[in-house]
Amino acid sequence: MSARASEPAVAASLRGVGFAYERLDVLVGLDLEVRKGELLACVGPSGCGTSTLLAILGGHLRPTRGELERAGTSRTIYQDGGLFPWLTVAENVSAGVPRGTSHAEASRKVEDWLTTTGLSEFRDHHPHQLSGGMRQRVELGRALVAETDLLLLDEPFSALDYQTRVRMRRELVTTLAARPRTVVLVTHDIEEAVQLADRVVVLGARPSSVRRVLELPAGKRPRGPADPGVGAAEETLLEELGLA
Amino acid sequence: MGAALLAAWWGAHANGMFPTGTVPAPDEVWRAFVGEVENGRLFDDIVASLYRVAFGYVGACLTAVPLGLVLGRSSGARAALLPWINFFRTLSPIAWIPFAIIWFGIGDPPAIFIIFLATFFQIALATAAASASVPKVYYRVAEDLGLRRGEILFQITLPAIMPHLLTALRVAIGVAWMVVVAAEMIAVRSGLGFLIIDARNGLRMDLVVVGMITIGAIGVLLDFAFARLARARSVRWGFDR
Repeated sequence: MSARASEPAVAASLRGVGFAYERLDVLVGLDLEVRKGELLACVGPSGCGTSTLLAILGGHLRPTRGELERAGTSRTIYQDGGLFPWLTVAENVSAGVPRGTSHAEASRKVEDWLTTTGLSEFRDHHPHQLSGGMRQRVELGRALVAETDLLLLDEPFSALDYQTRVRMRRELVTTLAARPRTVVLVTHDIEEAVQLADRVVVLGARPSSVRRVLELPAGKRPRGPADPGVGAAEETLLEELGLA
Repeated sequence: MGAALLAAWWGAHANGMFPTGTVPAPDEVWRAFVGEVENGRLFDDIVASLYRVAFGYVGACLTAVPLGLVLGRSSGARAALLPWINFFRTLSPIAWIPFAIIWFGIGDPPAIFIIFLATFFQIALATAAASASVPKVYYRVAEDLGLRRGEILFQITLPAIMPHLLTALRVAIGVAWMVVVAAEMIAVRSGLGFLIIDARNGLRMDLVVVGMITIGAIGVLLDFAFARLARARSVRWGFDR
């Protein structure tokens, strides 16, 4: 993996990337560019390698073939709970502060994020004492407190109930509007992808490569069901996934 | 419960349900207890036993926890060492008594060695199992956060396994305390185990029961101390859920 940016508008670029777990090919010949500042959603059939793709983008897995170029640093939010259960809410957010930050600056950042995520009064709670939505807000705070370039979201809201999921999507959009980042969101929820993304990448069945990249119309987000292009985009994605 | 047991014991003894000389009466045990306290021997025996347990147990903790961490994180180390650990784990510590005496002579060392053996493999295996079951996602987050190797050990692995480790240590202290009786039946002339074997040789069943009750009471106190430790902030999260 190279850490240099190929061009300013590109946050990450994958060319002919392949990945295999021992003899099981998961990704083959995957070409994809992640544009700076965009929210790119990634959908595909179950087991197609979306989480593997995210792990490659995050630098946790090295491609077995092809090339990845990525500028800057990344943070990942996982569906299965990456919060440290032995730390409090404030300590978890504080763990995300980059090393070298002064104590005063770190405290200010943590307080800032606790306020932003609405968790100030739960600062001394441990993760198991919070609801699923609150835990995801702590994850968001810990990931974003570092002001990293690339935010990787691995089905972050899939374990939440419907109402909390809808609320969290709104909170994500609000947070990103105030502090823009490049985001790659892996989701199996077509509605979520269409509501939030600038572009949606569809991966094919394993071994996967990019099957289609769908540009979504600009405008307010999260998009509502009646917003222009939403119905057509959902239909297209369902067709691409063989679900129409 | 305690009062009921005492009453049953008293009643059974008063009604002659035990053959003569096999089970002492509660008041005989009480008198023996007072005598042992007054002549200071009981206190000396308690201190001697606690000393041996402390050395054997702490020695086992200091060596078994690092070994368990290595086993938990390295599949190569597991493949190489687990069969041997399981081999030695299944040997009763009592079987080592002849070697303990030959290697360490008489006095505290052989007893400490037996206590060490009884707890070492148990703690190593429990630490290995706890360390191997730390969710991978914590290590990925640690990578994202830029933690170094030593930081990962102290900031991720150890805090993550602490509740499991504390439970394992709690079980192991019970085993250590149990084994001290057997360990003190050899090569030493002090301790609660020696008190029991010495009293048996002199047919002082009242003193045997004093030794048994003292061992049980201290075992309960040790367990209580570990239960209190489980309330510490760094491990409470593992028991609250």
